[in-house]
Amino acid sequence: MSQHIVFSFDQDLQSVQAKVMRIGSLAETALNDAVLSLETRDVKLAERVRTRDTLIDNLTEDIKVSCAKLLALRAPTAVDLRVVLSVMTIGGNLERIGDYAKNIAKRASVISENPPVSVVHPLRTITDFVVHMISDSLDSYIQRSQSIAESVLIRDQRVDEMYTALFRNMLIEMQEKQHEMTVGMHLQFIAKNIERAGDQATNIAEQTIYLATGMKPNDDRPKRDMTSYETLRA
Amino acid sequence: MYDLPHARSDVINSDCKISARNVQLYYGDNHAIKDVTANIADKTVTAFIGPSGCGKSTFLRCINRMNDTIDNARMEGTILLDGEDIYDSKVDPVQLRARVGMVFQKPNPFPKSIYDNVAYGPKIHGMVRNRSELDELVERALRRGAIWDELKDRLDEPGTGLSGGQQQRLCIARAIATEPEVLLMDEPCSALDPIATAQIEELIDELRQNYSVVIVTHSMQQAARVSQKTAFFHLGNLVEYADTGQIFTNPQDPRTESYITGRIG
Repeated sequence: MSQHIVFSFDQDLQSVQAKVMRIGSLAETALNDAVLSLETRDVKLAERVRTRDTLIDNLTEDIKVSCAKLLALRAPTAVDLRVVLSVMTIGGNLERIGDYAKNIAKRASVISENPPVSVVHPLRTITDFVVHMISDSLDSYIQRSQSIAESVLIRDQRVDEMYTALFRNMLIEMQEKQHEMTVGMHLQFIAKNIERAGDQATNIAEQTIYLATGMKPNDDRPKRDMTSYETLRA
Repeated sequence: MYDLPHARSDVINSDCKISARNVQLYYGDNHAIKDVTANIADKTVTAFIGPSGCGKSTFLRCINRMNDTIDNARMEGTILLDGEDIYDSKVDPVQLRARVGMVFQKPNPFPKSIYDNVAYGPKIHGMVRNRSELDELVERALRRGAIWDELKDRLDEPGTGLSGGQQQRLCIARAIATEPEVLLMDEPCSALDPIATAQIEELIDELRQNYSVVIVTHSMQQAARVSQKTAFFHLGNLVEYADTGQIFTNPQDPRTESYITGRIG
């Protein structure tokens, strides 16, 4: 797309998109570090994750103000309007990922006060998978790539499968080792937070498709999160 | 750029008021309108947008044969109003213009009283039998023009003494007075302040209940606010014609996108 006749309009749009990329980088790091603090029982790292969430929140607010200004002063249309709308939504998605990371970090601090358990390792697999999805969703946005965005959407099913498997394992573990119930419950919520971060990555990918094509993707992807139906077998 | 496809001009609407087919217009050697085909719906506001010289006003003027008054203008193709060819030799252009009213960029009231400005058209078209019928018609037109309350006690004052916004609403009332079916507006707000513009836009929305309104505007936001259909013209071509929401959020033609987003096309 060529430049606007009014050059400062281009600068405003670029500036607000650069802020989204900055939040994206912070959110990815936060999720990764939160799970790392859990694995390494690093309370200081968990504390840093919680503190840095303020930076994500402030940047998100900053994006909202910039978008309000763009809407009021530039009255964007067509692809420019879609940029502003998608930036506002993606800012919200990334802020949520930051919140999940912060919540994981809080629980990591509690877990570190309890004896180690074996289930932490499988969380690394799902975390790496989700962080990669977030990274790819942001790449798809900046490259306006429908194909990368669609690859992120497809991967959400795998996250659901991984989460369902974790959920089952934790149920069984907790049934057998009731003294690990406290840690098990926190790990359950942590796994859910990671799975939800994956959902936010798919939302970002959907926004990219809207930005690139002007159309929302069909919401008929199969869902593989079966935890709502899980029960403990006697 | 020139080999890009032209608009899908068959915007589906069962209530079609005006149907233009393969319209070409030449000013001497200048080919100003190039094979434009479009249906314009009844009880709908249709906006024509595009850069200066793109042919939007020229096409508007084809709809009530205003181009007939230009010596070197020559039109080809057909324009049907309710299925009747308006360029048929049996059609009287003066009668046609009573059915297809027009409002211009600059308010142009006659140098007569407010009352006479509105009464002139109905009188020459023999629409009334006596003074009381004329009074009723003038009041109805001024009410539809959303200016009756402001002017009802000043009907004998000259129309030229009103403010710009009032003059334009008086001109709209004058156009409505002959009970037209179509109202053509050529940049009706470009000489008005934002308040008068808002009043005219509100009026256009009300007029839509009874008329087919076609508006040429340079204001993108005005087109987005007042119209349900938008047609984008460029270099004499009808490039894209679709629902206004579609044109302003997801235009299909790159030329439309470049124009409405303020890029160098």
